[in-house]
Amino acid sequence: MTTSAETLETHRPSAVLNALKRLGFGTVVSVPDSWLGEILIRIDQEPGMTLVRATHEEEALAIACGSRLGGVRTALLVQNAGVLSMGAGMVSLAQRYQFPLLMLVSYRGTPDDAVFYHVPKGRATEPVFRGIGLAHACTDRYRPIGPQVEHAATYAEEASCPFALLMGREDIQW
Amino acid sequence: MVTNARPTRADHYRALAGSLPPRALVVTSLGNASYLWASLHHAPENFYFEDAMGLTLPLALGLAIAQPDRPVIAVEGDGALLMHMGALVTIGAMNPSNLTILLIQNGVHAASGGQTLTNATLDLAQLARASGIKHAENLNAPSALAAGIAAAEKRDGVGVLVLATEPDVEVVRPSISLDPVATKHRFMAAIEAPRYIPTMFGGGMLEQP
Repeated sequence: MTTSAETLETHRPSAVLNALKRLGFGTVVSVPDSWLGEILIRIDQEPGMTLVRATHEEEALAIACGSRLGGVRTALLVQNAGVLSMGAGMVSLAQRYQFPLLMLVSYRGTPDDAVFYHVPKGRATEPVFRGIGLAHACTDRYRPIGPQVEHAATYAEEASCPFALLMGREDIQW
Repeated sequence: MVTNARPTRADHYRALAGSLPPRALVVTSLGNASYLWASLHHAPENFYFEDAMGLTLPLALGLAIAQPDRPVIAVEGDGALLMHMGALVTIGAMNPSNLTILLIQNGVHAASGGQTLTNATLDLAQLARASGIKHAENLNAPSALAAGIAAAEKRDGVGVLVLATEPDVEVVRPSISLDPVATKHRFMAAIEAPRYIPTMFGGGMLEQP
């Protein structure tokens, strides 16, 4: 049975933003891609949230670790290519120190992605995640997205580790 | 006797220990940056990097944003800075006044054995200013460090102090364990960071202040 909130969920990126607000995320750190651009503008306009625009995803990861160390619930919004390029920081900082971080990751290079130069990154993404022990899941497009974000955030906290939720275009592109 | 020798890391650290502002949080880079600081001035409010070269400054930025009412002091080396120079731009853009960065400029990758840097003679203060950090200066004497730290109180924006330093490649043995998870828990307890309150079926939240 779905709740009324889930039934009313029609615009999935709005539901993602609402979930972040409801769960008390105070800081979002990001390196954007074309799918993430607009939701980042919305986050930047939220009075209770701070958006940090980093220059590189490994740097973004470290900023997020520092923010969480300082007691603020923190999410990373990056493309999957960015997770591929933050491997050292992931294992030697975020995982080593057991920082609970929610990672919302645009999953480029799947068959649903019309920009086909992303395919090499799409092919590598899940094998690399498994290789570095990064807990992750793909969103289910047939289920409300808000609860999926909440479950990913809960996993990160309960397991004291980063958790990557791989998101489709309809989930995150405003 | 007149000498051209640069100060040692220990000289700078003694000056830092003597001029730490109340409630300061200190983040130190890997290697002797952490080992020596732990030996000279261990405190729960220290966050020691074990590895993750180049990520001290971005972590300190996140911490400074999360703890705006506490001074945050980050100690980073020139080699590690070069690995993630983009972090200076992000720091310049966010520009938290409570963040002071001490850059140890010794011209080598000291933590990995003293290998020469790609460019050991950059003007790092000028680099910081070009990255949007208005308050950046090169310091040659540890005696100037106290004034630089004290200036943070009235400063609008991040401060960067570049410290000319003699390389120290001999590894200091810290007197305490630098276990990463213990470091994190000790630090978060010291600053009374809100704990995560789990719930049986999801939707857990951090404690409300």
